[in-house]
Amino acid sequence: MIGLAILLLVLLALLGAPLFAIILGFAAIGFFSLETDLAVLHIDIYQLANSVVLMALPLFTFAGFLLSESRTADRMMRLSQACLGWMPGGMAFVALVACAAFTALTGGSGVTIVALGALLLPALAKAGYDPKFNLGLVTSSGSLGLLLVPSVPLLIYGIIAQQMSQQLDMPNVEIVDLYLAGLAPALLMIMLLYGYCLWAMRKDPVPKQEFNWHELRSALWEARWELPLPFVVLGGIFSGFLVVSEAAAVTALYVLLAEVVLYREIPLKKLPGIMRESMVMVGGILLILAVALALTDYLVYAGVPEKLFTFIQTHVESKIAFLLLLNLVLLMLGALLDIFAALVIMVPLILPVALRYGIDPVHLGIIFVANMQIGYITPPVGMNLFIASYRFKRSVTELFSATIPFMLVLLVALMLITYVPELSLFLVRN
Amino acid sequence: MQVVRWLNRWLNHLEDGVIVAILLMMILLAVLQIVLRNFFGISLVWVEPTLQNAVLWIGLLGAMIASRRDEHIRIDIASRFLSPRAHRWLAVAVDAFTAGICGLVAWTSMGFIRGEIEYPSIAFAQVPSWALQMIIPVGFAVMAVRYTVLTVLDLFGQRPPMEEPHA
Repeated sequence: MIGLAILLLVLLALLGAPLFAIILGFAAIGFFSLETDLAVLHIDIYQLANSVVLMALPLFTFAGFLLSESRTADRMMRLSQACLGWMPGGMAFVALVACAAFTALTGGSGVTIVALGALLLPALAKAGYDPKFNLGLVTSSGSLGLLLVPSVPLLIYGIIAQQMSQQLDMPNVEIVDLYLAGLAPALLMIMLLYGYCLWAMRKDPVPKQEFNWHELRSALWEARWELPLPFVVLGGIFSGFLVVSEAAAVTALYVLLAEVVLYREIPLKKLPGIMRESMVMVGGILLILAVALALTDYLVYAGVPEKLFTFIQTHVESKIAFLLLLNLVLLMLGALLDIFAALVIMVPLILPVALRYGIDPVHLGIIFVANMQIGYITPPVGMNLFIASYRFKRSVTELFSATIPFMLVLLVALMLITYVPELSLFLVRN
Repeated sequence: MQVVRWLNRWLNHLEDGVIVAILLMMILLAVLQIVLRNFFGISLVWVEPTLQNAVLWIGLLGAMIASRRDEHIRIDIASRFLSPRAHRWLAVAVDAFTAGICGLVAWTSMGFIRGEIEYPSIAFAQVPSWALQMIIPVGFAVMAVRYTVLTVLDLFGQRPPMEEPHA
């Protein structure tokens, strides 16, 4: 009977039922089978009001929406070109850095392709790069930066991990630690991709651009109101002067003033609409998070993670083999599921098991998000492939073949991130 | 019918207005708290719980608005392979299921809150805890109604084309 209900839920999920409803369905069946009063669903959902850091989610998301609604992408592109364009493979490096920074600030990786990609593609072509190379570069850079502060996926991971730490015996997971841990892996990805770009154009190097002081000065001047932003975010979070949620509030207020009052690119009349749209997206994520908390509650209560651990342990003995399996599963899920849905469903299942294999929860968070980032461009269903296909009017198959070399480079980075925990942890645990 | 349309429009405006107001309040209150703490050494006790409950309200209001146009996060694999006709009948099942599960949560949640109202506890300041939690049954009830309407529209093949979820 219960098996049938579970099968039905899986079917409904594949047919396109909202994921929150599916997760609620699983939680309801679970609690029902334990003969628990379903009012527990209400109590679990109310836990949304229990977190001190969760406030950062709506605030950072709102700031990101404002940045993508104004001409930040143009300024960021011009500035990074003026700073870095003179290097060998300069424009490719510009694309990588600008995409990573923009994605870190705006979160949603689709936005990067839509807003920045449209500027980068013609600029790369003009600089003399191969069109197919450009397409691959821009598409795979669209999710670069998901590991950088103030990454929302890392925030969500941290909140779930903190929630679970009440029931599990595990080292502490501070959001700040996750952000610190993400720095080196994100830089590694950028550097490896840049290295690949240089290697790819070794036979047919693109002429270098000249460094121009005048251009740099005027690009800096144009971006003057946004230049303090990284300092507001990074300084706010890492100096210890503010907690993460406060840094998010200051960021939101600062971006609001910069785009609406100083740049005047967002008319006051449009502001409520942007606020609403950003909060609808946040609402979708929060709702999934809330119902996932309920499902987590059931899973832990029913001892599912222990059963999963016993099951996995009979087949997988070493930590290395477990990590390899984890990478495979997460890459697949990252390609199939929305990143937030994948996080809220998989973290509660995997975290307790990973702890038993001796994996640090902060390192696990980095592994999770790094996998999801690559999942965005994994054929055949990676979301960014479709967004790029739609945006650049190219067939999805063309994008597959253009992105694959970049994906392989990112997989190398993923291996390093997964099997060298120190890369993530050297700033955190010492 | 006229009344229903009017009610619907009124509810939409209310949701939009409240969610925008809460977001603005959230930014201002949080920054105010930082300024007061760091420059005046004061900390207002009610700010922290207000902000935390604001997250809950934003979550549910956002989810209510998202269900207007069925913009919730989903895995959409099957619809790429199905004929429009099959799709229509599957949509009936999917929407009816969503409406049902939202209704279930609204119902059990209301039951829980009834107990809270009987023996009220104070969340902070003078605000009773049940008033803050009220958004949960209300939110799920509104979503249940919206998905019921969508189910009926599916049945008659009248469902307006929905927008893809925000990427």
